[in-house]
Amino acid sequence: MGFGHKFRGAKRRRASVVATLAAILCCATLLLSTPAARAAQTGQTSQPAAQANPENAKALPPLVVKDEVGRRVEVPQPVRRIVSLAPSLTETIYALGLQDRLVGDTDFCDYPAEARKLPKVGGPFTPNLEVILSMKPDLVLLAANSANRKETADALDLLHVPAYATDARTIDDVLASISRLGEVLGAAEQGHALEDSLRARLNALHKKLGTAAQVRVLFIVWQEPLISIGQETFLADAMRWAGAESVVRTKQDWPHVNLEEVVRLQPDYLVFASAHPEEITSTLANMRNLPGWRDMKALQENRIAIVSDAINRPAPRLVDAIEELARDLHPEVFAEGPHASLRHQNNNAQRQVKQIAAQAGASL
Amino acid sequence: MRPLTLKRVLWTSAALLAVLFGVVIVAMKVGAYRISFADLALNLGRLILGRRAHIPSDYQVAFGYRLPRIELSILVGAALSVAGAGFQALLRNPLADPYVLGVSSGGALGAIVALILLPHFLLATPLAAFVGAIATIAAVYFLGRRKGQLDSTTLLLAGIISASFLSAMIIFLMTNTSGSNLRGMPFWLMGDLSTPLPEAMHWVLLAGLIIGVGAIYTTAADLNLITTGEREAMHLGVEVTRVKLVVYISASLLTGLAVSMSGAIGYVGLLVPHVMRMIFGPDYRILIPASAIGGAIALLAADTLARTVMFPTELPVGAVTAMAGAPLFIYLLRRRLR
Amino acid sequence: MNDAGNGAQVIAYPGGEGGAESPVRLKIEQASYAYHPHGQSAPAFTLAATSFAARQREVVTILGPNASGKSTLLKLIAGTLKPLSGRVELEGFETSRLDTRTRAQKIAMVHQESPLLFPSRAGEYVLQGRHPYGRMLRFETKEDVEIAENALAQVGAEDLRDRWMHEISGGEKQRVILARALAQQPILLLLDEPTLHLDIGAQVELLERLRELAAESRYTVVVVTHELSLAAEFADQVVLLHEGKCLRVGTPADVYRRDLLEQVFEAPLDVDLGPEGRPRVHIRGARGHRVGGHLKET
Repeated sequence: MGFGHKFRGAKRRRASVVATLAAILCCATLLLSTPAARAAQTGQTSQPAAQANPENAKALPPLVVKDEVGRRVEVPQPVRRIVSLAPSLTETIYALGLQDRLVGDTDFCDYPAEARKLPKVGGPFTPNLEVILSMKPDLVLLAANSANRKETADALDLLHVPAYATDARTIDDVLASISRLGEVLGAAEQGHALEDSLRARLNALHKKLGTAAQVRVLFIVWQEPLISIGQETFLADAMRWAGAESVVRTKQDWPHVNLEEVVRLQPDYLVFASAHPEEITSTLANMRNLPGWRDMKALQENRIAIVSDAINRPAPRLVDAIEELARDLHPEVFAEGPHASLRHQNNNAQRQVKQIAAQAGASL
Repeated sequence: MRPLTLKRVLWTSAALLAVLFGVVIVAMKVGAYRISFADLALNLGRLILGRRAHIPSDYQVAFGYRLPRIELSILVGAALSVAGAGFQALLRNPLADPYVLGVSSGGALGAIVALILLPHFLLATPLAAFVGAIATIAAVYFLGRRKGQLDSTTLLLAGIISASFLSAMIIFLMTNTSGSNLRGMPFWLMGDLSTPLPEAMHWVLLAGLIIGVGAIYTTAADLNLITTGEREAMHLGVEVTRVKLVVYISASLLTGLAVSMSGAIGYVGLLVPHVMRMIFGPDYRILIPASAIGGAIALLAADTLARTVMFPTELPVGAVTAMAGAPLFIYLLRRRLR
Repeated sequence: MNDAGNGAQVIAYPGGEGGAESPVRLKIEQASYAYHPHGQSAPAFTLAATSFAARQREVVTILGPNASGKSTLLKLIAGTLKPLSGRVELEGFETSRLDTRTRAQKIAMVHQESPLLFPSRAGEYVLQGRHPYGRMLRFETKEDVEIAENALAQVGAEDLRDRWMHEISGGEKQRVILARALAQQPILLLLDEPTLHLDIGAQVELLERLRELAAESRYTVVVVTHELSLAAEFADQVVLLHEGKCLRVGTPADVYRRDLLEQVFEAPLDVDLGPEGRPRVHIRGARGHRVGGHLKET
């Protein structure tokens, strides 16, 4: 037992001296370095603003805001380097025309296609804090409601990196959030323009739907186990804007619902969100013969709406998805003409935003 | 026959510390920033000498985030391993790990309650987790007594039942609470070292580690006898009741501290003592320091893997310890049976 | 010799190697005990007042069937139980009042084997017997090692020193356990049913060795057993217990009476004396039948 017998005499003495020195060195390094390192860290944060922008010898004072979860954030001015930790926020930044300030995003940021080429920090749930630090961001964006952990925000606080979190629970919140984000990032005009155009589209949709009856839907997040949406999620609100109402009445966000009960309620439509509609149709073919599902009229009569997965992201494309869903659920309201006019309005709004962004970009 | 001597204990500890030092150097080198050995040595030197202004910002950040994380892994790894060794003797069960008495479930419940009630208070989660852990320790103590004394079997049963009950409550809360604050709980339950902690907590952990390990070490010779049987130990002059209480409190304290800082990291407290026993023998006078340093090495290595293996995504360190630990456990089991 | 059948008796001193010159080391005077399970007022088990004395170099056997109170009496002697009435004294000190450490330096107890949690070698196991002599954070000295090795030699197990405890036979293990007890350098050696899992050869060897040890090293040895033949062969003094009462104390020849033994062991037995004056017990053919738990001859 033990390895003592392998060393003898002088060799042993030398080995023990080396080992002891290494041990002392190890302990000393650890004991001395950690408090010093923390002090170094705090010292470092006052440097990046000056380092990043040498021509602005006089840096502007930071903008103090309260983010959407109530945290106090000191946003450095101007914001030149942004890291986004949520796909929805990445999309919003592109929609606001601020993509050249985006220096890093997550593995799941896939829209628009250019976003895929940005340097990655990991997943929204498990970003690598060191990588974020190495990007020297002026501001890190998080989506409290949909993609990120509170612990990540806390960690960024402890590392003295400004972090702003959005928290949208209704569609109105999502729109307000977009324009507020524009303000925080110094692009208030683009933000308001985007919000106005999105709001206009939603109001038009609302008017179009007019007095059409609310369609009763079951929004299926996951089939096995059967998970739907709660009344207080922005998805439930999206349903309402699309002229539908979720049959699941609960305050829990992602309730595991009882199949029997849902069948009893016999929703008019089943709604799925997916980027790959073919997968859903094959899943459904398998579900049709299962007990419980057999009695679901919407499934048997093929009243299925598959909407793009943009509906899961609190970003501008959410409105596209709502419109798409409304069309699927209320075909009688939408004859050919109105399609074209809605899309036309859409394109106009986007062009407007891009113009404002270009102007703003020129002056920075 | 060569009995254990103080010299051998110190020599072993020094050798293990040297290994730990090596792992620390490797851990310092890998990560988001590219760091060369020469620069590392140079900047560490500057750091120790207090010439912080000369350190390039890359290294400042690496030291500011990476070094505290390394220190945390070392402290937590040491705490969990010593606690595991202690519980294995106390509960007379080589399969005991620090969580078998429900301490981690109590801590998790505390953390959840803090996330629900006080999400904006940064220190709430570790403090509440610690309170939850201590409450569980006390409850299991009172449940685990037989004729007024700690009895291994009763304690084990009381602990397992408490752990189940608390886990059920945790699952209930997690599935029935709306709001996004609990989204990170699965990471806590798996064990996660990636979230930095305020500096004060590191000092608390260090103090707790010294006190806990020290207290258990005073009973090391007694524990050797207790593992041959409690009656036998008593007749050999061991104050069995007192020793069991000291080990119970110290090992639970170490576990509670570890769990409130980093969640429930598994397999370290179970396996490190066994591996150290295989190398250095079952004598607790050498097993305790060997487990402490061995645990530090194991957890530091696991955490370094967790943050590099799927770069830039971070794996929770509990996933790495489980993936490495389970096969190792099977191997040890088979060796024992052979 | 007083003889009343059901009362506790003090007997005039038997012969044996110690003889009347050896001082009395262990004195049990009217020691009794009652065991109350938690919360109940009626005792589940009582040991009626018992008395006997033992000298240096003497081997005493506490004899009786199961549940006769042998283990309780042994615990009273060891001091782990405090007698309800009466006294148990070792060299003038009440055993139950001794602090744990001193007690371990004076009294060594050999239990039936309990499983070891972690594998260890015989030498290390015996070394643990030195624990009562150390300070808190102490490592064994060369002297301790010598004493441990001597203890192994005393039981004839020097060659087992580096063997693993889980790899040696039952008899060898029992010797190592005995060696650990000897390493404590006690004056009183207590053994609780040491022959239980051993084959007859190992049993005889163990008891011979105990007798030698008692003679050479001046231990006082108290052995709890239900083995009639062994007790007859090796004991200097026998304490006969039945259902919590001490029926007789004396030399084997005094105690082994057919009527007493049949009453206590409820078996058809015959006793005769062997060549050295020690009784020998024989089982008579089972010609009787049982009435109310007592044997009645047809």
